[in-house]
Amino acid sequence: MAVETMTVEVATASAMGLKALGAGLAVGLTGIATAIAEMTIGPAAVGATAENKDMFGMALLFTVIPETIVIFGLVVALLLLF
Amino acid sequence: MSRLLIAASKDQLEPVIRELYRSHVFHIEDFVEQKEEGYEGFRIGMPLAGADSVSRDVLRVRSMSSALGIDPGAVEAGAKTSSQTLRSRIDSEFSTLEKEIGGLNTDRNKRETTVREYEQRISELKPFASAPLDMDLYRGYDRLSVFAGHIPGDVTFTVPHEKFFTDTVPGNFLVVAVPSENRDDVEQTLLEARFQAVPIPEETGSATERVAWYTSEVTRLNAEIESISARLIEKKDAHTAFLVACDELLTAEVERSEAPLRFATTEETFVAEGWVLSEQVAELSDSLRKATGGKIFINEVEIDYDRDAIPVKYDNPAFARPTELLMDVYSRPRYRELDPTLMVSIVFPIFFGLILGDVGYGLILLLMSFGLGKLLKGEAVGQLLDTLRNASVSSIIFGILYSEFIGYALPWKPFIFSRHLNIGGHSTGHGPQVIELMIVSIWIGILHVTLGRVLGMVNARKLYHGSHATKVVIANAGWIATMWGILVMIWSMFPIPVMPDLTGFPVVALGLNAAAALGAVFVIGGIVAIGQENALELVEIPTILSHVLSYARLVAVGLSSVAIAMVVNFIAIGMLIEPQLEQFTPFGVVIIIAGLVVFLLGHLFNTALGLLGGGLHSLRLHYVEFFTKFYKGGGQKFNPFGMKRRFTED
Repeated sequence: MAVETMTVEVATASAMGLKALGAGLAVGLTGIATAIAEMTIGPAAVGATAENKDMFGMALLFTVIPETIVIFGLVVALLLLF
Repeated sequence: MSRLLIAASKDQLEPVIRELYRSHVFHIEDFVEQKEEGYEGFRIGMPLAGADSVSRDVLRVRSMSSALGIDPGAVEAGAKTSSQTLRSRIDSEFSTLEKEIGGLNTDRNKRETTVREYEQRISELKPFASAPLDMDLYRGYDRLSVFAGHIPGDVTFTVPHEKFFTDTVPGNFLVVAVPSENRDDVEQTLLEARFQAVPIPEETGSATERVAWYTSEVTRLNAEIESISARLIEKKDAHTAFLVACDELLTAEVERSEAPLRFATTEETFVAEGWVLSEQVAELSDSLRKATGGKIFINEVEIDYDRDAIPVKYDNPAFARPTELLMDVYSRPRYRELDPTLMVSIVFPIFFGLILGDVGYGLILLLMSFGLGKLLKGEAVGQLLDTLRNASVSSIIFGILYSEFIGYALPWKPFIFSRHLNIGGHSTGHGPQVIELMIVSIWIGILHVTLGRVLGMVNARKLYHGSHATKVVIANAGWIATMWGILVMIWSMFPIPVMPDLTGFPVVALGLNAAAALGAVFVIGGIVAIGQENALELVEIPTILSHVLSYARLVAVGLSSVAIAMVVNFIAIGMLIEPQLEQFTPFGVVIIIAGLVVFLLGHLFNTALGLLGGGLHSLRLHYVEFFTKFYKGGGQKFNPFGMKRRFTED
């Protein structure tokens, strides 16, 4: 296997690649975290709304609270990429 | 809002109820028998005479309406009928109409049942049509057993038998007749061959003929059903106006005759308590006195703000009215609370536009709000569509500022920070200014949260009394001080674009410069101020950071929508359509069509996402980050006794 010479282009490209990887991980992992958090809130919210329609606003509110996690992931990803 | 107490003798019950119903301004507070002080001896009233016959009539009208498929909510209000004519028509036409509609409906149902039955017969007979046997030959034997059914393949039997097999029908069909003493052997063989028996229908004559007969019967019945349905539609067209008017008139009568159930009564008198808009008290009192010839006692009771459940009616300019829906979804404000509807009606569209700032998507949503407005009726739907309309106008304005049209740049440079990503190598201008945008969104967060805390102080003064109010006000000031203290400290340590740079000040103590030291004082003072109201609140301090950072979604969600739009454009135009246009081939046309499909579907998907993302995230920023700072809610809807009459008049 030939040893690749480390030119400036290769170095920038691999740095960019690692950044992209990091950004992907940031969004993906926080997405999973949000999903796990919403997994239990969602059914409870749907149940509560089915019992009492006035609960809809509150139910929606509780369901979207964990969204913040994935938004932070998205922010980190954007900061990494730009 | 004023609280009124109306008392009169029972012979005035009917005129009072009639007048209250007509004026449609009095929110009745239901009387509950709980032996309260001052209410001993009062009981819930009895319905007015004739209540049960009116209820029966309402039921009859509703059953006719449902038989004809009339939805009163969807009927356009036309000319109003007077109650007098309507009542005489109810007496003269009601029974005949009921009989006609009921008869037609029964006829149709009966035929529909028969059709279903016949269709069942046809499906049972179908397999037997392939066998050349009359249906009576399948049963009625003493010493023979007949099997009929589906089977994967032909079988041979070792016992004496008569067999018919065909593979011309789906699943094949086998009929076999054997002497009864061999029955068990044959069953065993059939079981092994995976035979599925079908029931033998109780019919006579050839199966084919029977199927033909049933089919013709079904056709005939269906034609009859068609004609009955046509007659029902005729009836519907002719009587819709009458029936919805009846429904309205009778519903009003039922509500009136059941009103005493909500009053407190004694042997000879009744007391009704409720709420009226303060400016309407004089008018209502006058009209009640006139209706009863002055034999009534009306008193304005002083309001106990802590104990009374005061109903709430919004008072907003027309522009903010659609937003009341968004407030009701969360919770209606309490009576003495600050009503943030106007604020939400301004800020919500701005947030939506910041997220979905795109002329193309904005236009699509604008057209959608108008188009759906033509199709769908109803108050809540109208409010929702008006909110969507405002949001999409804001989206178009921000699209012009961002210079975006379904992911493409418009022929000018963005007036504010650019969101043009570099996807597919078609970057224009100086690329996306993500950091600047992010910081602007943080600024919006800082200001919005500060506004929330200031409103928290205003609300505390309105809702609480004495030292409790003061404590809450100080705590809110403490939250503001803590947040700004942290901000000043950050600014004094790191230079951040689009934010003040305070790093230049001389260091005073502990490595902190003058600004940082001031910030630290703010933070400590703020924490003390928060803790004096409720020490448990201190665990909430990290939310300062998370709530403000949460506003970064204004940019993050927006950028993801821009990215999707650009990726769709790149795949559809750059990868599929453009290369084919350069070298035109017949196969290229297919690829171009595929490219168009990708383009349309992709942007459809992104419009839906943009609507959901823009709407839900803006709403959430209000509900979670903004309202939690000051808003309590829990107000009861002002629901005056009476109804808006659409089809009838006196």
